[in-house]
Amino acid sequence: MKVSKEVRDIAEEILRQGQVGGVLGLSSEHGHVGPHLFSSTDDLGTLVLEPRYMLAKVCRMILADFPGERLGVVARGCDERALIEMAKLGQVDLSRLDLIGVACSEAQARECACPHPYPRRIDVGEPVQGVAFADTECAQQASEQDLVARQAFWTHAFSRCIKCYGCRNVCPVCICAECSLEDASWVARGKISPEISFHLIRAFHVADKCVGCGACDAACPVDIPLTRLYAQMREKMKEMFGYEIGLDVTNKSPLTTTLEEAPLHGL
Amino acid sequence: MAGLATAFGSGAMTNSIPEIEDAECILVTGSNTTENHPMIGSRILRAKEKGKKLIVVEPRRIHLAQFADIHARPRLGTDLAWINGLINIIFAEGWEDAEYIAARTEGVERLREKVAEYPPERVEAITGIDREMLHEMARLYATADRAAIVYAMGITQHTGGTDNVLALANLAMVTGNVGKRSAGVNPLRGQNNVQGACDMGGLPNVLTGYQSVTDPAVRKKFEQAWGLRSGLPAKPGLTVVEMANAAAEGAIKGMYVMAENPILSDPDANHTREALENLEFLVVQDIFLTETAQLADVVLPGSSFVERDGTVTSTDRSVQRMRKVIDPPGEARADWEIICEIARRCGGQGFRYASPGDVFAEMARLTPIYGGMSYERLENEWLRWPCRSADDPGTEFMHKDRFSRGKGVFTPVDYREPAEEPDEAYPFMLTTGRIMFHYHTGAQTRRSPSLEREVSENYVELNPQDAHGLGVHPGELIAVASRRGSIQVKAALTPTVPKGVVFIPFHFAESAANALTNRALDPVSKIPEFKVCAVSVARLVTL
Amino acid sequence: MDYRTVLTTCPYCGSGCGMYLPVLNGKLGEPIPAKTHPLSQGRLCIKGWSAHEHVASHDRLTKPLVKTGSGFKETTWDEALDLVVTRLLELRDRHGPDSLAFLVSAKCTNEENYLQQKLARAVFGTNNVDHCARL
Repeated sequence: MKVSKEVRDIAEEILRQGQVGGVLGLSSEHGHVGPHLFSSTDDLGTLVLEPRYMLAKVCRMILADFPGERLGVVARGCDERALIEMAKLGQVDLSRLDLIGVACSEAQARECACPHPYPRRIDVGEPVQGVAFADTECAQQASEQDLVARQAFWTHAFSRCIKCYGCRNVCPVCICAECSLEDASWVARGKISPEISFHLIRAFHVADKCVGCGACDAACPVDIPLTRLYAQMREKMKEMFGYEIGLDVTNKSPLTTTLEEAPLHGL
Repeated sequence: MAGLATAFGSGAMTNSIPEIEDAECILVTGSNTTENHPMIGSRILRAKEKGKKLIVVEPRRIHLAQFADIHARPRLGTDLAWINGLINIIFAEGWEDAEYIAARTEGVERLREKVAEYPPERVEAITGIDREMLHEMARLYATADRAAIVYAMGITQHTGGTDNVLALANLAMVTGNVGKRSAGVNPLRGQNNVQGACDMGGLPNVLTGYQSVTDPAVRKKFEQAWGLRSGLPAKPGLTVVEMANAAAEGAIKGMYVMAENPILSDPDANHTREALENLEFLVVQDIFLTETAQLADVVLPGSSFVERDGTVTSTDRSVQRMRKVIDPPGEARADWEIICEIARRCGGQGFRYASPGDVFAEMARLTPIYGGMSYERLENEWLRWPCRSADDPGTEFMHKDRFSRGKGVFTPVDYREPAEEPDEAYPFMLTTGRIMFHYHTGAQTRRSPSLEREVSENYVELNPQDAHGLGVHPGELIAVASRRGSIQVKAALTPTVPKGVVFIPFHFAESAANALTNRALDPVSKIPEFKVCAVSVARLVTL
Repeated sequence: MDYRTVLTTCPYCGSGCGMYLPVLNGKLGEPIPAKTHPLSQGRLCIKGWSAHEHVASHDRLTKPLVKTGSGFKETTWDEALDLVVTRLLELRDRHGPDSLAFLVSAKCTNEENYLQQKLARAVFGTNNVDHCARL
């Protein structure tokens, strides 16, 4: 509660200064919590911080529709990493955003198995240690199960899929105007469960972009632990290329640059 | 719903949706849950992941079936036989809940006698379900601490549909599974407010909250509240299929249809069309020029779900707000305003409301099961009916200590054959239903690009062995005909359907499944037999 | 800067999933599943995710229509409602209340269903009221 009060105070401050058209955050009304644009200081009383929603995608839409304006946003580590990845892809202009940086608690960091549970600049809260990959369920599974067992686990998980596209819809880095998942030459239409290509395409498409926000896990109606899969891809990117996602806007993905610019290490 | 009302005194899901994932055993029948109620299907899958038992009884190999501990595939229209068969095994093995039966129910002896006529070998002969599998189903269901039955139209849309529901109620009561958490008998309603439309008296025999039109005290209460000088009609009216029959005969002359599309949703579409064309006057209020609206004399543009305020009641009796997000397009108006305007122009008293909240308040005053609800409470509380007073927290699961009608009553019921069986001229059995990517008559979903991209044309599911016999190739356009009509539709070869059975979704106007279906009705609920009729399947050209 | 979200209920099956509908610059956007919703818990199926799409369809009716010899013609609300009222009252007076029938709707709100059955029973005097619950 103390934390949301501090966030409210900062939001009030930047709204009063008139530097932004509004502050994007979460609001509690009708007993429910959802994304909300606070455009005056009057309604800040309903601002809350949980449950967490991925706000980066909303930022992108607002910035695109109001080109002349600046936007404030309550941002956790994952929101910021998502915005940085979007900036790399030319989707958002970071200079038009005022981030109110919020550090996650230890419990929150554990829940998301988050490697960086805080943004670069922390306005509210104290930074806690991120969860090392070796300590995640993903790593445990890799060490405890052989390939056959892991394949059985994922085949079973994917067989539950009801093709809602929720994982893609909430994903802050799934931003293609034309989506391969909708292309009949990659994934047959109108069939549940979809072919495994649905999940593999997504995994490869986000391999160099997934910020580990957990939005896809939370949106999955059939509890497929997608972030566990993507965390493995992310770890491979680190191992193979020394590349870390979402930390520095100038550090481009090795998968989108030429071999001359970024020679492959460790292969 | 007539079946559950007879057994328990109240027809709705006995338990709430979140409870399902904690049932020790879930029996799903006549419901393609993951496709048609995906967020309820997800609870069932979650229960399965928690190690609970799942029994699916369904002729088609639906998505959910691959996760089942047992998938039984009865012949179409034989549900009553396996349900009675299960109860018989439960009695024979002593798996019934004797204490519960003694304390909470009546009529068990007659039930025991009736189900004794359904020994496993007879059930196997009728349904095709192996007797050992039947025994294992009975064991899983009856010995579970909390067992939930989940069913949908696959159970009710038969000429014996009410009896099927009564039999499921018998099964649940015999094992003491009504009136406790994560158990019960749970019909899944197909539309966002089908429960509410029933609750609001959108039925020919009851006013709001299932208060009978034949009860003089009920009528008097409404006459006074509505300020009527003349009395309310006392004789129950006609159901939708009966209306079409009456229109065809000329007894019904005028109809006012609000946001319904009977041409596609009703059985025997050619008959429905003739009936509506025979009307002297038809007014349709809708957001699109549906197949039904095309026949209207006047079409009134209503509003979509985001263009007006109100409430809806979900299949688990939760009453929730719908909120206005944007204005209706052009001159379209909120449906509640249109009705009030018509009523006032007819000289009707008591149709002046400032907002839907006022309408709700009037309804709640007249409706005991909604009596404790108000827009104010719904703003901050989660309420399921019955909710009778301002301090009543609502009802998560029903019939906890007593049934709505006092004691639960066992009604012995018998298996009857479907109204139409396959024969030489029509050798296949047709069953109809919905698919994941479309909804009901498609008026909304077929205008949604994301859904239309997934499935944009109709198909008939045909077993590959049958296809081979007929010489039908995958994707070939074929003719499916019944005694009532015929359509051309693309063949989808799949073992999802057993041999001798074809399945056609009813969302597609251009090859409407309901041109084929039978309007034979269940004698009590008046539900048509959509789920089985006899058809022929043939190639269009013989090469 | 105009961005708002409104909490409402999915219009499709009877599960009653909760969603926020965003309006950005006056335009309806893709639903955001409500995480605090006890039935849907921040999840939706593909129909829920697409629930906004039909709203903006070019096929939407925007004016009352009356049928003429050469098909439908647009008309005013006044004219359309007058015609409805005149014809329904005429049929009732000539053939009795039970010559009329009313369909309420599983896609409309409780309030609309309540009003429609009230109209049928209190104003026209018939219990010929039903909807597609059985279908």
